[in-house]
Amino acid sequence: MSYPYRHPSEVRLLSEHFGNPQARTLKGWEALGGYKALRKALGMTPADIVNEVKASGLRGRGGAGFPTGMKWSFMPKKEPGTPHFLVCNADESEPGTFKDRELMRWTPHALIEGCLVGAHAINSEHAYIYIRGEFFEAAQIMARAIEEAYAAGYIGKNIFGSGIDLDLTLHIGAGAYICGEETGLLNSLEGRRGEPRVKPPYPAIAGAFRYPTAVNNVESLIAAAQVVENGAEWYKQYGTEKSVGTKLFCVSGHVKRPGNYEVPLGFNFKEFIYDICGGTPSGRAIKAVIPGGSSVPILTADELDIGMDYESMAAAGTMLGCGSVIVMDEGVNIVKQVRRMVDFYSHESCGQCTPCREGTSWSSKILKRIEQGRGTPDDLDTLLEISDNMSGKTICVLSDAAAAPIISSIQKFRGDYLA
Amino acid sequence: MSAAPIRSGSEYDPSSWPEAKQNPGFAGDSGEFVQLSESDIRGTAYVGQRPAHGGHASVAGTMPYQVATSRADAPLFTGEHEDRLEKVIGRYPDRQAALLPALHLAHEIRGYLAPETMDEVAGRLQLPPAYVRGVATFYTMYNLAPVGKYLIQVCTNISCNLCGGDAVLEAFLKHTGTEPGEISANGLWTVMEVECLGACGFPTAVQINEHYYENVRPESVPAILERLT
Ligand SMILES: Cc1cc2nc3c(=O)[nH]c(=O)nc-3n(C[C@H](O)[C@H](O)[C@H](O)COP(=O)(O)O)c2cc1C
Ligand code: SF4
Ligand code: FES
Repeated sequence: MSYPYRHPSEVRLLSEHFGNPQARTLKGWEALGGYKALRKALGMTPADIVNEVKASGLRGRGGAGFPTGMKWSFMPKKEPGTPHFLVCNADESEPGTFKDRELMRWTPHALIEGCLVGAHAINSEHAYIYIRGEFFEAAQIMARAIEEAYAAGYIGKNIFGSGIDLDLTLHIGAGAYICGEETGLLNSLEGRRGEPRVKPPYPAIAGAFRYPTAVNNVESLIAAAQVVENGAEWYKQYGTEKSVGTKLFCVSGHVKRPGNYEVPLGFNFKEFIYDICGGTPSGRAIKAVIPGGSSVPILTADELDIGMDYESMAAAGTMLGCGSVIVMDEGVNIVKQVRRMVDFYSHESCGQCTPCREGTSWSSKILKRIEQGRGTPDDLDTLLEISDNMSGKTICVLSDAAAAPIISSIQKFRGDYLA
Repeated sequence: MSAAPIRSGSEYDPSSWPEAKQNPGFAGDSGEFVQLSESDIRGTAYVGQRPAHGGHASVAGTMPYQVATSRADAPLFTGEHEDRLEKVIGRYPDRQAALLPALHLAHEIRGYLAPETMDEVAGRLQLPPAYVRGVATFYTMYNLAPVGKYLIQVCTNISCNLCGGDAVLEAFLKHTGTEPGEISANGLWTVMEVECLGACGFPTAVQINEHYYENVRPESVPAILERLT
């Protein structure tokens, strides 16, 4: 049996080599066809790379789903003396998400390629990978791979005789969910508190060290390199018209076979949970599913017959997010789980905005009261009012993310609150 | 010995948890994945021993953060450690960006960040001490007080919580005889709750010093502790 469980419905473009220790090494990676994307990219102009990625329709896999090629096209024209930076977001700390760590620990050279292709695309000569500090083992594997690539001349000066110089630096975070937000991440990279910045200016204009910067998720960069290697048309054979390609879905909670599964976007969600992940271990019915990480609205068991793509999830009132599927069976007390999530946001709020700082801690207190059976009839209205006040009013969307499970759970699982 | 407390509700009902040993997150053995060793899963054979001087400058900031060999009175930036910091500084347009790596290094050496340690870091990087303290206290991985030789951080966030995270936390507390955050009488253990470790498909995820233990069940706790002692 290979790792992780392979299902015949999967389409493994990103995860083909998970569980194969050979794929980690430079030699092994090249034997599997690695570094072709980089070779090809260095023979292309940055504009051609951006156009190819744009044409593929690839959307960012870090949560927001913004088109990757479009993001790169917002970078200003390169001026002499003004460096551009590519920053890879490997902070992965949205509860329920564990795909970037797998990508890094099994296929580190894929990420190196992704970073270098992305850097060249935006005329950057230096890319940083910001990896969350807890991921020490994955970071060590990345470090070893980067050392191998430098030694082989695949990173550094005049790569493959192209005349192009690219550097790559691994940067380790120190434990703060908010550093996953791209401007919080940039502040953290600069040696500051990881507090999100007021936008504009956007990172493309004033990013890392106030220079033009693109921040891309690990999975986005690896997929972009594959697009460059194989062409936009190749990529468009997977997924739907608007949600192109495959995506890693991280499944956790009450399923028989949790883990990472890669399917084309648009795959049926119900089939995914019941067939691929095996349904619930207890045989109890499913009560609720969070489809895209703890920050997105909850779905009920009746709402699962939809496609796993950006549009279908939005039509169902939720989001694909970073593809983190959390399944809860009938035995779960939704109030407790929502309270646990809100506690998390309260702990992780950076405190710059009052609605977020105060809203998360008030909500947590009220939820705890309800959980202990001491709720009052007005509590639900108060919660909804606080949540409303937390949405759309702050520097970053952590506040909205904290409100999402509260609002959706009160709408859909009112019974749990009144019990 | 059965460590799991008796509770009601499926969060504590092992029949609703995925089978342990399903995935090769490492919790003492690699379960059904017999073709993978611990070294394959952790990548230790490939990584080898990372040198104290940090190796290539591009990755010299790859610090273990919390190690069993830290010593509260060890000198900070000397010898190979100083070489490591110099390499790191050279990777950024300005010196301030080396602050997190420098704090990590100090944490690795001393096991926690005392105010004086933060001030030493400030001195080394020529940054205002108050600024450094402001940054250091923002991040949760920096311990501001000493911890046991092994810092055990149990994820109790949603995915782990659904599959017994709270029970695993209780088992660690029970078997180490500690309350959350305190150092055990023998100096070996400190057990704490931690937010999502990014290993949610391998519940419960536990970080012990710099290493992860995954698919941890309450009943696997004694063996894990034994392995470390
Ligand atoms: C509170 C918060 C946390 C986030 N955490 C992450 C994260 O851990 N990893 C990530 O890639 N993106 C995260 N994001 C999204 C980033 O801000 C950004 O959109 C993303 O890195 C862009 O990359 P992409 O376009 O490739 O998706 C987070 C956003 C917010 C608001
Ligand atoms: S919304 Fe919350 S986390 Fe985001 S900047 Fe404001 S206080 Fe910080
Ligand atoms: S919820 Fe425990 S590791 Fe993510």
